[in-house]
Amino acid sequence: MPPGIPAFIVFFLLILALPHSGSASTLEELAAAPRWHALLHINRGATLRSRDQSYVDDARFFLAESGRSDPLAELQRSVEVLGQSGAEQRCRFPARYRYLAEALGWQEAEPFAHCDEYLSWRAGIPDASVVLVFPAAYLNSPSSMFGHTLLRFDAVDQQSDWHAWAVNFGALVTADDNSIFYIYRGLAGGYPGRFSTVSYVSKIQEYAHLENRDMWEYRLGLDADEIGWMIDHLWELKDVDFDYYFLDENCSFRLLELLEVARPQVDLLSDLRFAEVPVNTVRAIEEAGLIASRLYRPSKAVELEQAGEALSVAERRMAVRLMKDVSLADQAEYQALPPERRHLVARAAYQATRFRDRTRENNQQAAANSYRLLQLMHANTAPEPAAIRPPQPPERGHATQMLALSGGQREDNGFAEIQYRLTYHDWLDNHRGFLDGAWIEALNLRVRREESDRWRLWQLDLVNIRSLAPRTAFVRPTSWFVHAGIDRPEVAGQRDATRFVRGGPGLAWRLGRWLPYGYLQARIENNDNVEPFINSAGGAELGLLRHGDHYSLHLSGESLYFADDQYRHRGQIGVQLPVTQQNGIRLSAVHDEWRGGRETSWMMTWRYYFD
Amino acid sequence: MKKTIIAAVLLGSAAGAHADAAGGPGCGWGNMLFEGQSGMPMHLLATLVNGTSGNATFGMTTGTNGCDTSGALSYSGKSLLSMNGVLEEVAMDMATGQGEALTALSVSLGVPAEERAHFNQVMHQNFSVIFSRDDVTAGEVADQISAVMKSDEILAKHI
Repeated sequence: MPPGIPAFIVFFLLILALPHSGSASTLEELAAAPRWHALLHINRGATLRSRDQSYVDDARFFLAESGRSDPLAELQRSVEVLGQSGAEQRCRFPARYRYLAEALGWQEAEPFAHCDEYLSWRAGIPDASVVLVFPAAYLNSPSSMFGHTLLRFDAVDQQSDWHAWAVNFGALVTADDNSIFYIYRGLAGGYPGRFSTVSYVSKIQEYAHLENRDMWEYRLGLDADEIGWMIDHLWELKDVDFDYYFLDENCSFRLLELLEVARPQVDLLSDLRFAEVPVNTVRAIEEAGLIASRLYRPSKAVELEQAGEALSVAERRMAVRLMKDVSLADQAEYQALPPERRHLVARAAYQATRFRDRTRENNQQAAANSYRLLQLMHANTAPEPAAIRPPQPPERGHATQMLALSGGQREDNGFAEIQYRLTYHDWLDNHRGFLDGAWIEALNLRVRREESDRWRLWQLDLVNIRSLAPRTAFVRPTSWFVHAGIDRPEVAGQRDATRFVRGGPGLAWRLGRWLPYGYLQARIENNDNVEPFINSAGGAELGLLRHGDHYSLHLSGESLYFADDQYRHRGQIGVQLPVTQQNGIRLSAVHDEWRGGRETSWMMTWRYYFD
Repeated sequence: MKKTIIAAVLLGSAAGAHADAAGGPGCGWGNMLFEGQSGMPMHLLATLVNGTSGNATFGMTTGTNGCDTSGALSYSGKSLLSMNGVLEEVAMDMATGQGEALTALSVSLGVPAEERAHFNQVMHQNFSVIFSRDDVTAGEVADQISAVMKSDEILAKHI
């Protein structure tokens, strides 16, 4: 026998044995594959915490003791445990089983025959297609400001989206968690985050109807096989605890992980993703070519707004009167309208009434009024419903981070300024894809160098949030603003860094494309050079905002009067011309007056937005 | 067959609602048309971290909260009509004669697409019967819908 033959036979036998025992190198390859890492939620560099470890902070999720940090050990142990016919753990980890079975050639006709709970759950989850849902922000609700993302699973013959299933990742909050301490915990990661599946109609109720948030629905181009991976893996995440971090490991981040399980080659999570803003998730999946179509689901607020716009001024007045007293429907003015217009007037009154009352305690008078308006709608035949005009989709908006360069002049001093903003949008930034009148900035830093001086911190906004919610015939919201950071007013002849917090309520209206507004303002500040330690002031601001087709314009004047007899007045004007989606030019001028001085400055800025 | 079960269950659950909230309290059959929703988890934090409530559900087989699990369109044992806010949507669609809530209702009752226009019309005509008062409950509305469908030539077979 030639010497090579025994070796060949041994080699051949080894190959035959492979599917059953697995050779070291094959298992290593399997353990390093993207899908295995996705199934274990291994951090491949997307965030700084727990690099190369699993995000899952739950021992029950791993079969091997070192499974959290050792994908190979977990794989080896999984082969041992899940390879046994009738293994209890198969019912817990169907996607892992499938991964190993496909890779190692395990052949079993009904590997989950003993898993009643899993099989009945699996049969109940619709799996024809998957939709990524983005409930956008609502203007006056700061906690919704960045939006949210969830997944929806649709059945093949689903005739109503209300029957679909929603998969949500969120912090597990108990009913009595409602204080500042818990907000801190939510931000810092003190909550366990979990997946849950609920009916989609309850999510529509929650977002579009109660919180007045528009919903964007992006159907994903995943095939049945990929959706199957996702659903099987979802089952593995049942009752599994992740840490919930507001900034990065949030709802959106976890959904990207699920998408990687479905299609590992999309590679959404190799780059650092600090501050995973939900709209960036939409952009990421769009860039990965996963979006097949997009649908807009208006909130109750938008429906009411457009119902009001569809009425004439006289009809709108009638609707407002009907809200107060339904019996006015008997009057000649209302009866003179054609039935279809009567329906629309009653409908607008009903929508406005419910908009106001929906989130209040039920009361007899309100219920009786609403019911009579419904009867009035019923009595007058409805016209064909008008389609709601969708706004620009959020992913068409500018990116969330910004870098800006400015040159300008303060009195006789020329200066250069560099600005970085972590997030997100102010009134002059290109408003396409954003809510009109929403201003949300966090970590906005400006450093400036004037002639014959060095670089100095000129302003730092830790948080700067403004809402302009226009008052209409039907709704009377209160606008507000809150702003905290460091600035440099001239105090006692010097310009030292001053720490401040300011804020107040306001009112806003809409006149064509103009948004006039007014705010009351309270301010407290601390400056090392002056007594008292905390100085407080009260004042007001009046302004005017306009979003044109090719520009945004803002004018404002404000006055502040301090407890120590100082005062400050400021007038400013700014205009921004969007050059492209990610670039803009801004011109601004500020005139300041205070006890003992005055000055004017202007500057021109190039603003570049990026992710 | 599925349709029959769903319809039967809708009837059954609704009938029980009068006696003593089928499936126990908190199942929603006693919810009124304009039920106030200020008790919803509208807290700042819950929104901020997209919180799920204490008993996060994970599909139909868990987290039924002691509700009758067999309700029409049973999501975690809840029926479509008994879910917060849905009754109001259905009422508005019935007063109008069409809409997403009415479509969802017809689907949960097993009414096929080709009969939907007829279903909408019948529901619209009987608005005052189905929503007879401003404090009508989900259970009562379910009963009335069944009664109206039973007396309709085309829709009766779905009950």
